[in-house]
Order: sequence, then structure tokens, then C-alpha cells
Amino acid sequence: MNKSWIDNNTFHYSKFSDLHRLVNEKQRKNLTISLCLPTLNEEKTIAKEILIMKSELMTRYPLIDEIVVVDSGSTDKTREIARGYGADVYEASEIFPHLDKFVGKGENLWKALYITKGDIIVYLDADIKNIHHRFAYALLGPLILYDRIKYVKAFYDRPIAIGKSKIRPTGGGRVTELVVRPLFSLFFPDLTQILQPLSGEYAGYREIFEHIPFPIGYGVETSMILDIYEKWGLDVIAQVDLDRRIHRNRDTKALGRMAFAILQTFIERKIKLGLVDYKEKLYDEMIQFNLVKGEYKPDIYKIVGLERPPIIEISEYRKKFKRALQKRPHAIAGETDVLG
Amino acid sequence: MSDYLEKLPGFVDTIKSIQETVITNIVLIGQTPAPTFKEKQRTSIFMERLAEFQVDECTTDGYRNPIGIIKGTSESKPPIFVVAHLDTIFDKDVDHYYSIQENTIMGAGIIDNSVGVGVLASLPEIFRRLGLRFESDIVLAGVIQSLGKGNLRGIRHLLKTWTTPIRGAVCIEGAELGRLNYYADGMIRCEIDCNISPVGGFKHKFKPNAILIINEVINQIMQLRLPQKPRSRVIIGKTSGGFKHGMIAYDASLGLEIQSNSDKMVKSIFNSIKDIVEGTSHEYEVDLKLNTLSNIHAAKLQFNHPLVKSAVNVMKKLDLTPVSGPSESELSIFLSRNIPSITLGITRGENHHQQNARVEIEPIFTGITQIIGVIMAIDNGACDE
Repeated sequence: MNKSWIDNNTFHYSKFSDLHRLVNEKQRKNLTISLCLPTLNEEKTIAKEILIMKSELMTRYPLIDEIVVVDSGSTDKTREIARGYGADVYEASEIFPHLDKFVGKGENLWKALYITKGDIIVYLDADIKNIHHRFAYALLGPLILYDRIKYVKAFYDRPIAIGKSKIRPTGGGRVTELVVRPLFSLFFPDLTQILQPLSGEYAGYREIFEHIPFPIGYGVETSMILDIYEKWGLDVIAQVDLDRRIHRNRDTKALGRMAFAILQTFIERKIKLGLVDYKEKLYDEMIQFNLVKGEYKPDIYKIVGLERPPIIEISEYRKKFKRALQKRPHAIAGETDVLG
Repeated sequence: MSDYLEKLPGFVDTIKSIQETVITNIVLIGQTPAPTFKEKQRTSIFMERLAEFQVDECTTDGYRNPIGIIKGTSESKPPIFVVAHLDTIFDKDVDHYYSIQENTIMGAGIIDNSVGVGVLASLPEIFRRLGLRFESDIVLAGVIQSLGKGNLRGIRHLLKTWTTPIRGAVCIEGAELGRLNYYADGMIRCEIDCNISPVGGFKHKFKPNAILIINEVINQIMQLRLPQKPRSRVIIGKTSGGFKHGMIAYDASLGLEIQSNSDKMVKSIFNSIKDIVEGTSHEYEVDLKLNTLSNIHAAKLQFNHPLVKSAVNVMKKLDLTPVSGPSESELSIFLSRNIPSITLGITRGENHHQQNARVEIEPIFTGITQIIGVIMAIDNGACDE
């Protein structure tokens, strides 16, 4: 394992707290930045994220140029509230309406590439209770200040909310430690240096995101890392310590389904890359048993490993971003111009 | 003289145009726990925000009250104080994360006093947006150790060590919009603790019950004859005691406040309660103690004081109906030092001291405007006579 990556590409958010410097550098490089919040029933937290980002990184420091919410069909007031506080709100199903419709975080992230304008896109989960503008500026810092870095991932201490009014000081990251880290250790030891590969907060240049496929569901974070690593190597990736992130606690069964989707993505990537030769078709159902009135009954969840292709392959996208694509045919070392 | 009054209604929309900054301050400061005596973390955040908004000076006094100063244009005019207490009644392990809806913010301590402190931190930016400069320095003080056993120590210390004159003061509280406090009752806040030794508990089947002892004390307090003039009352505010349903209570306590617009009467009622406690202790042979937690002296401005009249005019200009009542907050310390001052509320709220306290967002902008109106009135000389 090449341990120099973790020494050179790991930062603390405080390194990027000089927002004047980030804004100056952004303007000097003539960059535009979009913040995207994928949502599904996030009425309790969405307004706070929008307000804080808008106040600190748009009104006071013009670092972010737009805040976009891509919603998976919330049944609560998420969209109304987000719109009321000034975000551009889209329903995922209305973007590329002629394509098959899927519901999932990865679907929203992928579609956001089409409706956002930024050269850099920051993705933040919309359920962060202790949201602070460092969540965005710290992810942007390495991208703006270091030309070699094209994709930045967050890591934290992860306290979890238990019940309505109490917080447990440690915990979370169970799927990372029990599933992703063992897999990375077995197959890609270099990637174990990424401390929280499943964190939902990351940012990167459009030219990265548009060239990789996006799984529809939970596998999106894992696949993103594997694809970026495979295409451009570890050195374009950085990670930033964002201190603490308070999030909802998920039960073990929900984590089990998450782990299923991640394993599914991982194995399919391995097959695609020709790294394993698996003779049989993988099953696409997660089966969990419950004891109901003295009888064991299975809960069966179908988790189909669907993924969207690199968005650069979609003609509407190429048309919309034609000018931008012409400006940067070989922006990343080793990458060929998809448009030829 | 009253030119400033005409400008006020127009301020509301300008302040609203930076609502995200005002709400961000309220949330970032309010989400940082600050139980009385443990305000350090909130103090740091409050100072960070003041520094961010580039006040001319940002410091703490010797008691660690955080202070920001916006320099005025005059060398000779004394400063105007704007004050909000930083501490809350909630412990650190309570979830302080706020939820914002279409027109509300909800969470522990939002009314008392995150809205007040968040607005205080926003004032430098609001002044800038409105293009306001004042003759006096504006001292923005987030005072610590205000509530309960804190006994207003923060503001007491700040004023005790502030060596130069103070022109006037505005104390700000989260709710209710429309309150106009210009007098403070005399008050003694005390706790009565009953402890019964559990030693020898097996042998005595009919040991005294601490809860019943406290109940007896309450009954006797209720029998006290309180005068209507001077206006006086005893508030039974808190009780606790006991361990479990089937066991005689060894401990119980009662928290109460004696309030009156006469310090003499407060003292007299306190002495009566002291007699009740000593008598009950003697009669039931139990350990019963009366502890004073805090006290303040009665003080007031007259209704026709120019500051009060100006505040009424400001509120009327903004279509607010002033509602007056006594306030036992920072106000009383200013008044007791003969510094003209009032307390104002910023918005409307509900579930005041509960974890699900909620405030309305829209009225906040009118609430801020009235504070600015009163600061302008003081800067125009309302406290100089």
C-alpha cells in the first residue's frame, strides 16, 4: 500500500476557513460552483441546509453560484420549503422524462449533472442535523487550491441521534467497517486510506462526474470511488475531516440492505474490470427473516443493481454542455476526449 | 427629532432581505448548548460570529462575558448597550439541533434566548445594510450566568467593572414581540430542601415523608396574607422529591420566587417564609433548609421617561401594541444602577421553556426594527435628560 496518499491528500476543514482566499482563487480560475442536495422527505432539515449555505457561501462570500434540490418524490413539504428558501427545486422524474424512471439517491445525483451549471459540483446529504457551511467550503478547498485534486470526500466523527432528544457520542460507520473496509483491504488496499468511503458528502469537477456511471441506489458512493480510482488513480482524490456529523440512526436491517447494494455494486465492478470471473448470475433479492407469532417469515427486498451510464453518453447533455466540453477536451491527465 | 421614526417601516424589508444571515446566526449560536455556568462553547461561537461581521472590537471582560463594540462617530457620547443573555435552561446532552419549517424555527432554547443572541450577533451586518452609523459606541454584550442560580452574575460583573458612564441600554429576549418592560420587581428566589435521614429506616414504619413536609410548607405559604399594595406575590415554581411509588420520600425540594414592587415587602414575605420553614422543621423534627439562590432590587423608569415614550412611539409606528409588565432580567441590574433601559421581545413563540419551543420567523424582522428604532432614539438623546 502506498501510504503517502493519506499523508498528502488528507486535510482538516480548518485549513480552508479563509473564505476570502477561496473566493479569490475561484474567481481567478473563472470557476462556477453548484451545490446539489438530493432529497426524499427531508422537511425537517432541508431549510437549515439551504439557509446556512445561502447566507455564508452565497450572500456573504460568493463561493457557491447555485443551490439545487433534486427530489425523489417527497410526500412531505420538502420541495415547498426548499423553494420557499430560495433553492432551485426539481423532481428527478421530470429530468430526462423520456428515460426509464428510477428512484434512488444515485439517480438524483446523476440527473443533477444535467440541471446544474457549475464546473464543480458539491453533493451534500440533506439530513445533516448539525449542518455548517464548512461541509461545503472544506470540500471545495482542495479542489480550488490544488490543481491536481479533482474529487474530495468527507470524513468525520460520527455521533448518532438516538431517540428524539439524546445523542450518543460515538457510533455509525458500521457498514464501512464491516463491509467496505474488508473488501477494500482484500482487493484495493490503497483505498483503505479513504477513511469514510460511504460518506454522503463529496465534491468534484464536472469532468470527473460526467465520465463515470452512477448506480441508482446505495452503491453510488462505492462505485464512484472505484471508478475514479480506476480511471484517474488515487492522486486526484482527497479527503477532508469535517469534524462531526449528526445523522439519523438506521436499524441493522436497513444497514443490511445497504450492505447488500454495496456488495452488489462492488462485485459487478470487479466482474466488469475483469478482476474476477464469476460463472453464475448474482441474485438480486435481500432476504431477512422475522419471527412473527412463533413463525419465521422472510422479508424479501428486491435490490436491482441498475446504473446510469456516464452522462457524457447522453446526447441532450452533450448538447447542453457543448461549449464547456470544447473548452476542456483533455482537462484531466490521461483522459481522452469523449466527443473525439 | 423623530425623523428616524419615519424610516423604520422601510427597514423591515431590508432586514428581511438578509433573513438567511439572521437565521443562520440564530441557528449556529442556538445549536451550541449553554447551560448556566457552562457557556464557554457558545461564548466562542458568539465571538466568532461577531468577529466575522467585523465589529471594531471583539473581546471578553474579566468575567468572560463576550462583547463586541461598534465604534460611534462621537468621542464624547457614552456607549449604548444592547444585551442578550447567553445561557439556557437545557443541559448539554439535550438535542439542541433546530428544525426550520416554512415560517418557524423549533428547538431547545430557541425562545430563551437563541433568537435574542442570534439577532445580537446580526446587528453589525444589519446596521451596515441599513447604512446606519451612531454617535455612541454600540456595545453588543452576550452575558453569561443570567438564569436561575446564575443570579445575573454576568451582567452584574460587566456593569460593576465598566468604569465609564453608559448612555442607555436595550435588553433583548426572544419573545414576545410587543413586550415593553421598563420596571423590575424586587425578587428573592429561593429553594426549600427537606432531607430525612434514611438511617434506621427498617425500625421506623412511620417516618416523616419529605414530600408531605414540603406540602405542609406550601399550605402554610398559601395562607400568608399578601397585600395588593405594594403589589406582591409568591410563585411556587418547582418541586421534586422521592424515589419510587412504594417508598417514603427521604428528599424533597421546593423552588419559589417572592416578587413585589417593594423591596421591603419582599424582605418581609421572605422572613415569614423563613419562620414557616423553621417552625415546620421544629414541629416535625426534620432537616428543612431555606436557601436563597438570587435576589434583585425593585427599580423602574417612569412611564413618561423619554426612553419609554420613544419605545412606545417606535412600536406604534411598526403597528405593535406595547404590553408592559415587570421583568426580572438584565433590565433590573441596569435600572438599579440608574441606567435608563428597557427590555424588548423579538418575535412570537410557543412552548417557551420546552424542548419543542417554537418561534415565528416573519415577525423577527419587525422585532429587529423596533430594537434599531430604540437604539436610534437613545442615540438621538432619549436617555440624556
